[in-house]
Amino acid sequence: MSIRVRVNGVEQELDVDPEMPLLWALRDVLGLTGTKYGCGQALCGACSVHLDGQVVRACVTPIRRADGREVTTIEGLSPDGGHPLQRAWVELGVPQCGFCQSGQLMCAAALLAKKPQPTDADIDQSLAGNLCRCGTYTRIRAAVKKAAGVPDSK
Amino acid sequence: MSQQPVVFTRRSFLEGLNLSVGGLALGLVPTVSAEAAAPGVGAKSAPELRPNVFVHVAADGLVTIVCHRSEMGQGIRSSMPVVIADELGADMARVKVVQAVGDAVYGDQNTDGSSSIRGVFQALRRTGATARTMLVAAAAKRWKVKPEQCEARDHAVYLRGSERSLGFGELVADAVKLPVPKPEAVQLRPLSELRRVGTELPLLDGPAYVTGKAVYGADVKLPGMLIAVVARPPVVGGKVTRFDATRALAIPGVKQVLELPTPQRPYLFQGWGGVAVLAENTWAAMRGREALDITWENGPNVSYDSEKYREALLESVRAPGKPARSVGDVDKALASAARVVEAEYYAPHLSHAPMEPPVALARVEGGVCEVWAPTQHPQAARSEAAKMAGLPEDKVTVNVTLLGGGFGRKSKADFVAEAVFLAKAAGVPVRVQWTREDDIRHDYYHSASAQRLSAGLDAKGKPTAWLHRTAFPAIRSTFSEDVTGPVARDLNQGVLDLALDIPNVRAEMGEALAKVRIGWLRSVNNIFHGFAVGSFMDELAHARGVDPRDNLLEVIGPARHVSVAELGVTALPNYGAPVENHPVDAGRLRGVIERVTELSGWSERAKNGRTLGLAAHRSFLSYVGVVVSVKKDAVGKARVDEAWVVVDAGLVVNPDRVRSQMEGSVIFGMSLAMYGSITMKDGATEQSNFRDYRLVRIVDAPRAIHVDIVRSEAAPGGVGEPGVPPVAPAIVNAIFALTGTRVRELPIIRTVPV
Amino acid sequence: MASVVFLASAGGCRRQPDSEAARWESLPPVDARELRSLDMFQRIEDPAQRSRALFLETSRVYLHPRCSNCHPDGDSPYQDSGEMLHNPPVTRGPEDKGVVGMECTGCHQERNLELARVPGAPNWHLAPRSMSWVGKSPRQLCEQLKDPARNGGKTLEQLVEHNAHDKLVAWGWAPGSGRQPAPGTQARFGELVAAWVATGAQCPSEEVRP
Repeated sequence: MSIRVRVNGVEQELDVDPEMPLLWALRDVLGLTGTKYGCGQALCGACSVHLDGQVVRACVTPIRRADGREVTTIEGLSPDGGHPLQRAWVELGVPQCGFCQSGQLMCAAALLAKKPQPTDADIDQSLAGNLCRCGTYTRIRAAVKKAAGVPDSK
Repeated sequence: MSQQPVVFTRRSFLEGLNLSVGGLALGLVPTVSAEAAAPGVGAKSAPELRPNVFVHVAADGLVTIVCHRSEMGQGIRSSMPVVIADELGADMARVKVVQAVGDAVYGDQNTDGSSSIRGVFQALRRTGATARTMLVAAAAKRWKVKPEQCEARDHAVYLRGSERSLGFGELVADAVKLPVPKPEAVQLRPLSELRRVGTELPLLDGPAYVTGKAVYGADVKLPGMLIAVVARPPVVGGKVTRFDATRALAIPGVKQVLELPTPQRPYLFQGWGGVAVLAENTWAAMRGREALDITWENGPNVSYDSEKYREALLESVRAPGKPARSVGDVDKALASAARVVEAEYYAPHLSHAPMEPPVALARVEGGVCEVWAPTQHPQAARSEAAKMAGLPEDKVTVNVTLLGGGFGRKSKADFVAEAVFLAKAAGVPVRVQWTREDDIRHDYYHSASAQRLSAGLDAKGKPTAWLHRTAFPAIRSTFSEDVTGPVARDLNQGVLDLALDIPNVRAEMGEALAKVRIGWLRSVNNIFHGFAVGSFMDELAHARGVDPRDNLLEVIGPARHVSVAELGVTALPNYGAPVENHPVDAGRLRGVIERVTELSGWSERAKNGRTLGLAAHRSFLSYVGVVVSVKKDAVGKARVDEAWVVVDAGLVVNPDRVRSQMEGSVIFGMSLAMYGSITMKDGATEQSNFRDYRLVRIVDAPRAIHVDIVRSEAAPGGVGEPGVPPVAPAIVNAIFALTGTRVRELPIIRTVPV
Repeated sequence: MASVVFLASAGGCRRQPDSEAARWESLPPVDARELRSLDMFQRIEDPAQRSRALFLETSRVYLHPRCSNCHPDGDSPYQDSGEMLHNPPVTRGPEDKGVVGMECTGCHQERNLELARVPGAPNWHLAPRSMSWVGKSPRQLCEQLKDPARNGGKTLEQLVEHNAHDKLVAWGWAPGSGRQPAPGTQARFGELVAAWVATGAQCPSEEVRP
């Protein structure tokens, strides 16, 4: 079955098993390796991407669901790494190993798109599905607020 | 923002959209090891100054610094090169950082034991100083002055008292003609001249991390590569008795099904065995594995039941063990004590669970083997690869990618061995991809442990005796068959090096046979020793009716270097460092306790209605004090609201990465303290993924983690691990303050809702 | 134990004066995984009593974790046997479909994923707060189901239709990945609910339990 999907603004036609999770279509077929495999069960959030603007876990999203739709991955979050979140992430030194950070950023970007002035509770709720084994959570909160221009009270 | 140049490397042999373009954070060197000492060789015809394998200066002034340790989140690539560059006097904007392949020419590359800075700080400085000495000598010769009249800074050599200067690049042609001075002969700069060391440093790979361009183990692709997913025996040491691959091979994309060799004891870094499904993509390989029909023979470890083992460990510490540390007469002191305080502690197996599961890519072709892997131990990976490929090590290249977390898991080369075996057997490059279930079920687990602590108090409540018994399966059991439990050096971590101002002290070891592969996990035996000692100190304080902080300071005793004789040991392993350079310094331990209690408002906690817990621990030659504030949430669960960490790691190269390691240690320590538990039934691991091996999430994270670094010029200590051990005891002590319930078993969730 | 005929009242072991429980107990036993068939209830002659018994039978479905987990008492659904909050932690959000970044359909597809163990059905979402079932007695649940303000604005006929044919409800009997399904089948559940409505949609006494 052929699947037509727009990925980071580029039209793609994929001839793959329609049940193949979007994650593997992105990584193995399209070579977009910024989206990570961490659990395969939607438990860790490392594979978070946007499907028509909504965060989905690519590891459990069959590629058929993306047919005719628009996917944005970390590679497409900004043309030059200049999204306010990406800048805040680097300025505050958020990443440690960095592996989970594409997923964290994609969720944070969806959050800011919907709630430009998020509270700590908003951040925690929206990023509750994104595990970071290195433990960068407190910096993630700070960086989301920095990108949003919300003062950090800590 | 960092001004790091984008590193372009020759990689036409790689395919994949974002691998073939610039922005690749790693300079993977596509050469065999003979060229490892010369990254980038062949790219230029002009001479390059190569005084050693770590630093090279090109005629255009570009300085290449090799990072020989693996980057797994500790920020070593942002730290180590700065030390060399500072000694050299290089401008970081004109420095290219290249990741070393696995090669003994770099010395020890094993990135664990929190050793990267503490172990080689001076040696790294010498590598930079050697290059500087040669450039300065070349300039002095040019100017016909003495080298002492010259000064290297800002990527150039300056003639003091003049306007004259020569850029590093301009000096290369002359410098290459000079003899390379012996490293020991070169003069290091005074610490005050290391301009960036100890300052706020940019995160080298930050831009790559946030754009998805950073290259981890699974991000390297070779033409014709297949992806393997392996069905491993549920019980370690088990084997395949028969398998039917018909259904697996029928899945589109599945190309081959291969059986892996069954490991023999001791397990070392051998693969776990099993059956591999090789496919064109990961999805097909995963589906193929599900479709395999395999009959296993479980072998002798099938009897392993971790709950029964727990009881056996506790029994072990209820009887006298082999002494590992002894001063005075503990038995007599306990017998004559006015009061004895006793407690038993248990901590379970843990899994490392780095966010990136193990993965490795191998190609065995034309008499050479090449590996790409997120390995903490590139040289061990090289040895295992050589064994599997049946090639000498000099025909094996191990390229080190970024690691999506390591925590000790990726020091073990088993996953590399699997990839090389399969690549050789399949005749095509193979990437072995571990699923999360594989990772949780087939780990080198952190030891389960039981401990019993007893303290004798005199009539005035002063401690007169301290007896610490510990039993846990030792890491050595993974490497040798005749290991029946810990030996004295396994107690180095938090038992032998514990400063105690008590006249009668003894530590004993109980027997514990390993039933699973035991491995080291971030801070290793310090986890459970720190938990038990840190908890017991608090219990002692409450038993004595003394403030836990005052009790801790009193039991540790006055500031002093605690001698081997006072410790009651014949020798102190001391993390491989001489005790003269890194003594057991009670003063530094006191220092972090005093500072962390000051910062957290310990004395005013009752007035402010806060329930705090305190613990402090020496490990990896550093001292860390932790205070946590615990509150009850809306549904009655105890949650860590705020944490304070004070770390004395001696001289610090990269304070921001030290802070981030401490922040991370609090989260890592919280995960293991509150939720972490691997259990085995019938020899198989009961957990499988983050659903049942729970980690701290952002919703559980403290509101704030305050980190304070003690300013020091003492020899550097470790940073990656020492933050972890005091976290669990600080939490249980705070929970006691909050609820009155004393938690003596990890994870806390088994006793108190968290 | 196959039969689930027992009595547990809030105030101890008091029997109802109208022997409602006794009538219930007189029904033929069934396996915990099954629902009694409609004809088994014909032996209860009094339509009102039959109606109560029918509701008790359907409450075994309503209050089964497969159903009640997503009719939670707070802002987060439950998992497994109903004692564990959903992991990862999710909150209902303004439309009971999660919050941004953690929408239900960010993970749950329109059908179960066996390899990933993620359950799925069309329109996966939480019941609104007003339709919370967790912690309710069968009687409280019964009263609630008859109240359009607390049943999603449904008439009893719509309730029958929803229970008998809704695809998300249907998931309860095919939850996948080794999860224990709700008892019986959706078809039988639909028949029992229809019969309960037809017999006057009577509610059992507070104390009685299936």
